[in-house]
Amino acid sequence: MSSAPYDQVQVLYRTLLVFATVAVVILAVGLVEFVYFEPPGQATGAKARIVGVYAYDPATGNSLGADRSAFTRTEDFAAVVDWSGLPPDLSVDARWYDAFGSVVGRVGPSTPAQLGNFSIVAVITPPGMHHNLPGDYTFVVERLQGGVPVEVLARRIVLVER
Amino acid sequence: MSTSTYTTPPAANPHPRLRPGRYGIAIAITAVVVIALVISSLLNYVYLDTIPGRTSLYGLLAVALVSLGTYIGVRAFTRDRASRRKHLIRAGVLLGLGTLLWLLVIDVFVFTQAAGPWIAAISALACIPTTAFGLFVVRRMDRNEKEPWRLVLVAAAWGAIVATSLVIWGETIWDQVAQQTLVPGPGLDASTAFSAGLLEELAKGLAVVLLFLVMRNDFDDVVDGIVYGAAVGMGFNFLESIAYMTNLYAIFSPDGLGWYAAGFQWYGRQVLGLFFGHATYTAFIGAGLGIARQLPNKRQKAFAIVSGFLVAIAGHFSWDAWVQFFPIDNTLFGLVEMHLRTLIMTGPFTAAVIALLIFGIRYEAMGLVDQFRKEAATGSGAILPDDVPILASPWRRLKQRLRALQRGGVRAYLEVARLQTAQLDLAMERWHRERQEIDTPLEAEDALRQRVIQLRHWVPAP
Repeated sequence: MSSAPYDQVQVLYRTLLVFATVAVVILAVGLVEFVYFEPPGQATGAKARIVGVYAYDPATGNSLGADRSAFTRTEDFAAVVDWSGLPPDLSVDARWYDAFGSVVGRVGPSTPAQLGNFSIVAVITPPGMHHNLPGDYTFVVERLQGGVPVEVLARRIVLVER
Repeated sequence: MSTSTYTTPPAANPHPRLRPGRYGIAIAITAVVVIALVISSLLNYVYLDTIPGRTSLYGLLAVALVSLGTYIGVRAFTRDRASRRKHLIRAGVLLGLGTLLWLLVIDVFVFTQAAGPWIAAISALACIPTTAFGLFVVRRMDRNEKEPWRLVLVAAAWGAIVATSLVIWGETIWDQVAQQTLVPGPGLDASTAFSAGLLEELAKGLAVVLLFLVMRNDFDDVVDGIVYGAAVGMGFNFLESIAYMTNLYAIFSPDGLGWYAAGFQWYGRQVLGLFFGHATYTAFIGAGLGIARQLPNKRQKAFAIVSGFLVAIAGHFSWDAWVQFFPIDNTLFGLVEMHLRTLIMTGPFTAAVIALLIFGIRYEAMGLVDQFRKEAATGSGAILPDDVPILASPWRRLKQRLRALQRGGVRAYLEVARLQTAQLDLAMERWHRERQEIDTPLEAEDALRQRVIQLRHWVPAP
């Protein structure tokens, strides 16, 4: 009987190269996705001002106390934004993201002029939960283009303790 | 060389002075890994608060003890019986100390902070049977020549302890920078997925690379590569499962959903994702290395290794980046969706690695059968013509062992098993030598042949 055909390893090798080509396509699609949502050259120079992050009373809709960087799970809190420093025709919004990347509070999208009255952006406890989930919460004021956020005009991260 | 002191054939590279250049590469990789771990632990000590910082230093010591114990343990099997026991005891003591310190670290530093030691212990206990089952299945996949348990467990231990330690700071720094600079949403998710795919697969893949470089005698082809890669992935998945279970328990327990969250993680990672996730990704790295093992030129070897890493990174990336596009409803149908999501997103990668595995097993079997026949034709007595059809079939080999069990009990079963293993080892050595992909001296093959003949005398006639 003759020895096993040597080409068999070459078949495995070529098959792996085909898989690798698909892998390169997947990674390229990922890169395109990244560039689409993080388009280069989008810095307008505009900066929003986050006045602070405060405890929040949902009954009155007012912020309470001093600017803080950490909250307990049972505390309601909200960011206060000063929209006045932004060009009035920009399309913007403001959002809270929890540690899982879910949007847990939002105003906009609209122009700074129209959002002037919505300076307090509160975190909403997820439905079915009694408390906020722990972890880092990120608050961002974003500029939108074609409905897609393309630039962060201001950012603030606070911790919700376990 | 005295046969009275050598009870097993010498290692493929029995003389340290003759060790090939790949050992230098292995030492360099190990040095880089150790330096990375030292830096990681020092960063923990400087930047984390005092108690976790101290436990991180204990963790560094644990990693050093486990690494040293593993090295001594693995090398012990290439020594003669007289000194083997002494080296195994040393290795056992070092591994025991390292394991105790490591448990201290994970309990105190990682898990106790989140959910307490009892929840960590229960999570770990829940993950042990499933991971053990996974490792058992993965090892059984190599139907012709199973990998030694010690190396499969070393691979899993690397995935659980070393690979996870290696990625902590890389991912933390990457995520911190991304969180501070990128627009939250799909772009940030893609960045995080690139971080996980690149760093975790590189950290896991280093274990397979080291096995490929150092334990060449037990790394024969694509099948072995897939087994070792999957074992590393399962080790990583084991610790990641515990981390997620305890973390989500801590997050959701104030709302009375702690056990539900931990159980959901256990099912998703230890049942549904046991073979689909990390095991599949790292198996591709092993497949690349296994194919490179048998390729004739360096350019092709390099392409094969890079290809294995690329597929692993892409598979891991695609899950992390795009899993959000397959949301799970909070209804009973969500259970169906959860399974479909895994099947659709990771299933093609698992199917691809299974295809490589099946092809590899068939190719390996063809090569071995060819060598059984050639060895039988030499008349050396190591493999007889009547042995060939039995050795060629895993089922017939099992039947032969069971017949021995009926005739002579467990001892006879084990003796036949040892003989079959030695015959397979001899055929594998011959196969590699014929293909000119081996750097061991011919004496090693002769020693294997003598070993088979010696074992044949101990095995009762059928």
